[in-house]
Amino acid sequence: MARRVIIVVTYYMLGVVFFGPHKLLQANEPKQLFKHYCIDCHEGPSAEANLDVVALLIRSHFDATLIFENVASGKMPPADAGQPSNEERREMLTWLADRQAESKQNSFRRISRHEFVYSVNDLLGTKLDLAGRIPEDRGTRDFDSDRRIQLSHEMLGSYFAVAGDMLDHALPADGFISEQTWVTSKLKDSHQTYNIYVRDYKDGVLFSWTRANNGNSYSFFYDNFDPPGAGWYELTFDAAKVGDFKEDVSIQVHAGKYYYADDRPQPQRLLDVISVGNSELESKSIRVFLRPGENVSVHCYSKHNFRNENPQQGTYIRQMKAHGPLQDQWPPSRYGMLFGDLPVEMKGNLQKIGGSITVSSFQQGMEKENMQDGSNRTFWHTRFKPTLAKPPHFVILKNPNERPIKGLSYATWSGGNGNGQIEKFEVYTSEDGNNWGEPFVTGNLETRLANEQPIPFHEATTSRFVKFLATQSFSLDGRSLASIGKLDVVVSLTDDLQKTRVSIVSDRSEDMQQVIRRFTERAFSSKLTDVELEPYFDVATHALERDGDFVQAAKVGFKAVICSHRFLLAPGEHSSQQLSQKAELARILWLSIPDAELQRSTASLRDQIAWMIADERSDRMIESLCNQWLNLRSWNSVSPSLKLYPRYDDLLDHYLPLETQAYLAHLIRENQPTSHLIDSDYSFLNQRLAQHYGIDEIIGQQLRKVSFKPDVPRGGLLTMGSILKVTTDGFDTSPILRGAWISKNLVGVPVSPPPENVKAIEPEHGDDAASLREQIEQHKSNEACYACHKSIDPYGFALESFDSTGQWRDKYRTETPHKGTFLFRLNGYYRLTTAVDTAGEIDDQKFTDIFGLKKLLLSGNRKIAYNFARKFFEYVNGYEPDMKQRLALLAMIDQDDCRMKDLVTEVLVYSLSGDSQ
Amino acid sequence: MNGTTRRQFLKFGAALPLAMRSLNLRAATKPTPSSPPRRIMFICNSLGFYKPYFFPKTRGDLASSPYLKEVATKDKLTVFENLYHPGMETSNHDSEKSFLTGVPKPEAPNFVNSISLDQILARKMGGETRFPFLPLSIYDRGWGCSWNNRGVAIPTLHDETRIFNKLFGEEDLTAKRRQIENDQHVIHCLKRDMHQLETRSVSEGNRSAKIESYRSVIAELEKQLEHEAFWLKTKKPEIPNTLSKDPEFAFSAKIKNLLNLSKLAFQTDSTRVITFSMDWVYGAINVPGATGGWHTLSHHGGKQDKLQPLSRIEIDIVKHLNQFLTDLDAIKEGDGTLLDHTTVVIGSNFGDASNHTCSNLPTIVAGGGYRHQAHTVLENPMPLCNLWLELLHKYNIDVGKFGSSNGNANLLHA
Repeated sequence: MARRVIIVVTYYMLGVVFFGPHKLLQANEPKQLFKHYCIDCHEGPSAEANLDVVALLIRSHFDATLIFENVASGKMPPADAGQPSNEERREMLTWLADRQAESKQNSFRRISRHEFVYSVNDLLGTKLDLAGRIPEDRGTRDFDSDRRIQLSHEMLGSYFAVAGDMLDHALPADGFISEQTWVTSKLKDSHQTYNIYVRDYKDGVLFSWTRANNGNSYSFFYDNFDPPGAGWYELTFDAAKVGDFKEDVSIQVHAGKYYYADDRPQPQRLLDVISVGNSELESKSIRVFLRPGENVSVHCYSKHNFRNENPQQGTYIRQMKAHGPLQDQWPPSRYGMLFGDLPVEMKGNLQKIGGSITVSSFQQGMEKENMQDGSNRTFWHTRFKPTLAKPPHFVILKNPNERPIKGLSYATWSGGNGNGQIEKFEVYTSEDGNNWGEPFVTGNLETRLANEQPIPFHEATTSRFVKFLATQSFSLDGRSLASIGKLDVVVSLTDDLQKTRVSIVSDRSEDMQQVIRRFTERAFSSKLTDVELEPYFDVATHALERDGDFVQAAKVGFKAVICSHRFLLAPGEHSSQQLSQKAELARILWLSIPDAELQRSTASLRDQIAWMIADERSDRMIESLCNQWLNLRSWNSVSPSLKLYPRYDDLLDHYLPLETQAYLAHLIRENQPTSHLIDSDYSFLNQRLAQHYGIDEIIGQQLRKVSFKPDVPRGGLLTMGSILKVTTDGFDTSPILRGAWISKNLVGVPVSPPPENVKAIEPEHGDDAASLREQIEQHKSNEACYACHKSIDPYGFALESFDSTGQWRDKYRTETPHKGTFLFRLNGYYRLTTAVDTAGEIDDQKFTDIFGLKKLLLSGNRKIAYNFARKFFEYVNGYEPDMKQRLALLAMIDQDDCRMKDLVTEVLVYSLSGDSQ
Repeated sequence: MNGTTRRQFLKFGAALPLAMRSLNLRAATKPTPSSPPRRIMFICNSLGFYKPYFFPKTRGDLASSPYLKEVATKDKLTVFENLYHPGMETSNHDSEKSFLTGVPKPEAPNFVNSISLDQILARKMGGETRFPFLPLSIYDRGWGCSWNNRGVAIPTLHDETRIFNKLFGEEDLTAKRRQIENDQHVIHCLKRDMHQLETRSVSEGNRSAKIESYRSVIAELEKQLEHEAFWLKTKKPEIPNTLSKDPEFAFSAKIKNLLNLSKLAFQTDSTRVITFSMDWVYGAINVPGATGGWHTLSHHGGKQDKLQPLSRIEIDIVKHLNQFLTDLDAIKEGDGTLLDHTTVVIGSNFGDASNHTCSNLPTIVAGGGYRHQAHTVLENPMPLCNLWLELLHKYNIDVGKFGSSNGNANLLHA
């Protein structure tokens, strides 16, 4: 398939480039063609649409984009007039394109805030969601890449601030917080009104209630877990479904600030959704990013138990276990990525106070240093090969500076079979390392817990030697062993967070230059000369001279790199055409920078595109396309009325856009026909979406591909709940808005803004559907309106079968008043009125409902494919294609079988290979 | 350029002009005695006031208001009756979000706010003081009344000790200073890189356009850092800590402290814009003469057994507001008092908290040097945003519309 497209393009490009102009010089044929086909209507002062084609033809340059689009789409000449052949049509288009005015696009653009955050994340090996901290600067433009958007100093200020935060998170000056584990089943106090909807159950809590009086989701906060620092945590819920029904129940896990007794919509982030279908307890884990000051709350969703007091069914959560902040390895792998082979040093408290350790024995590869490297995945173990070390097994902590030690902090090593884990211990102190006296502290340790176990001293000791003696430890086979994941001293009780500093042992400016070079060449996707690097070398080496901390000095250099014009303004300056192309590709497909593999790749452009699309980082492009092309970024500005659509909830609001993303990702990755943009017999649903669409037997909240029977109106973008919701105001549907969405985003009808001095029609649903249509049909009576609206409104009529949430309807709902304060109820506040009328007519073709409209749209599939190519071109390049570029795009459209990945690939190749200039 | 001279350049070449420009800035910011700076403060009492006790019973006579009869600065304030927020007719939880923005339907889950009045003023007036504005609140609820140009809530300050330290305390400024210094080094590095690129390459069209656009934004950012660096070098005013600690009437003490801090902030010219979001609290509070849940009592339904304790709370609030205005009026400044140069707007997001309605919002404008009317009853309901628009005009911000305004209120006259 791909090959066929390429051949068509090549053939056609040849035709344009080599034969086209030559022919045009020979004869005035195309001009004659315009005269022949257009002159009947478009000539002289009374020409239709005020367009005098003859007058235009004698000018050398003019903006004929509208004529071009109308001829290209077959809208002109009109169906009842004589039609040019395909060959003639192509000649007319080429002739117009040759006469287009010079375009004045900006030659560069600023990268978007999303591109910035993804790029810096990929550079630093972090996953921070900080784009929301940078202002949205898109204004009213469709695409983030729009070249008309300028970098402002407020934006640059935000980039400085966010870059600083990201660097501090990646390479913290005061060290990393140790991983810890929390287990809790206790809820924080909540509003008394809602306490009846949770109750103690077995060893935990049964959650069974869905919506608050005002319709908002009320969630319950877990106590006893306050994230000590920003980072990734693993949350594990031991949960089971309680109740005899086939559907799963869901746990919506949020993060937010806890408010006592507050029934208002709490500013919370939905972290993830856990689907629970098991009736026996099962552990379900999610990985989430939490910030200090936030707490975890849960809201359990089930359609079965709305506001039952003393409920008998719902979600039983025995406990929540939290573990984190997680690092990918210890020390975090980014130290290797950023600092190469330079020696890494990790400092625990003992080293900070100038102390050191000795041990009774050690096994090779399990040395004493592992106890104080900040991780309990690496550990110390007594010797067992080649010979078994005999007890006693002990660790001696030396405190030569006689600093007060207030206790010990101990952790078992996580993983492994438990061999050597200490069950009983004794602590001794000594001034000379020989005389130990009576035990200072004795106690037991928990072997099953991976978290830190503090061993507080009843009084601080300044002894120069502290001995930790293992008196009993676990052994699978009876051998005498001891192992410790972490053992450190507690030096200050106010400094309750155990942090480990990771530093690079070097003060050499040569090392710094190497680090800066590696980072900068990755960030700029370019080989760089010493001269080019000099400012960046200097800013980092001066920082190193100033305060001697290698990592902190490198951060100053890194910050300069990611706030530089080469990083923030695209295209950057690259040392080769290949690297420049790769940087463009990475920005478009991954919203990021090329990784090492891509930088090294010698594959052809098409092969690079193929594997980059297959890579999961291209999900970022899919999300961008959904937000920017399909307008889903307006998602949160529309909230369906709780009176009319009481069953609309957070879970649905979360999954509707995900369906669209999954569908578009499938179309592109699996190279599906472009006609699937309009119609197909499948989509990606879960239990909640299936309920919404009235489809049975879908259990569980994981999205999966679901096939539809022929009588289901779904499949394709325009009947997705997400699109149907985002094209309304939340109360009424608007055939005009929906029609405009289809014609702009799918069909690509060129729509001019409404003429001035025209009274806008804003139809309102009354009791009478006929009156709505009458209002809209007023467009017909005004020729200025009708010229455009005849190709806008009718699409919207077919979608009247879907309400503001995208659910199927036969009749309109009209709101009814409520007494007193609004009180949420599942039946809402509405009555059904007249039946919807979905018939319409477009380009003289009639349809009666959505099925008819889809069939009609499919008959113009080339238009759909061409429009997608145009939108994708704009996404890639940051401006709309001019006529020459449109000609090239038209040439990519195969008559019968046009496919998504092929088209994406061709547009990219065309845009990146320089042919488009 | 060898290493040493480059370093010297870094040290002096970059820092000297900065220091000199900072001096200019300082000269420009020192108010001349003849023209004291103009300030403005917004206070939002989130549960409003019980109207029959708040509004004067006799038109124009503040002595006929049970709440306001004790107010000392009667000739320097006007109570306005019949202002409202359009589009907020029913159930208005969270309506304080809209107090200074006028954006309707704040309780909708997907509500998006817009920039608040105080922030527009802070953008204009904030450049000359250490703090462009202060957003105060009773507790840390996640939002107050201040919203930025993206409609994002600006975090509030609620801990009196921290606010005091921020304004007057000896802070550990090392980290901040280091960040600013680092950023200044970064900017210097970026300017060198641009300069190098220009001299190295024969000017290509796109490249120079690109560098030009970047050069201008980095220059503006540099200025902003200078402002921050300047204020780091300037010693904070020395003010003794007189925050009151009253464990019995904690709520009352909090309001008193925050108002006192506001007075000190204005008096020392640390800021010229303050917004105080007097958040409602759910739990019981203790004021002289009553104990009860402020929120529960606010849903009084006209019942005397609830109105009595509620009025004690509201009287306590008015007492502190009265003290605040009196204090401002006692501080001589130029040809008048601090109050004459400070517009204090006292209002609420609720007209009637019992029914959650936003019509007839209790509103007082005090000070600011206006010719005050004591009590003005508007013939027809007027959007509160009309008054907000008028205030913008009074502070020389020329906009045609703000929020739901349909014109300039034209209520304040010099």
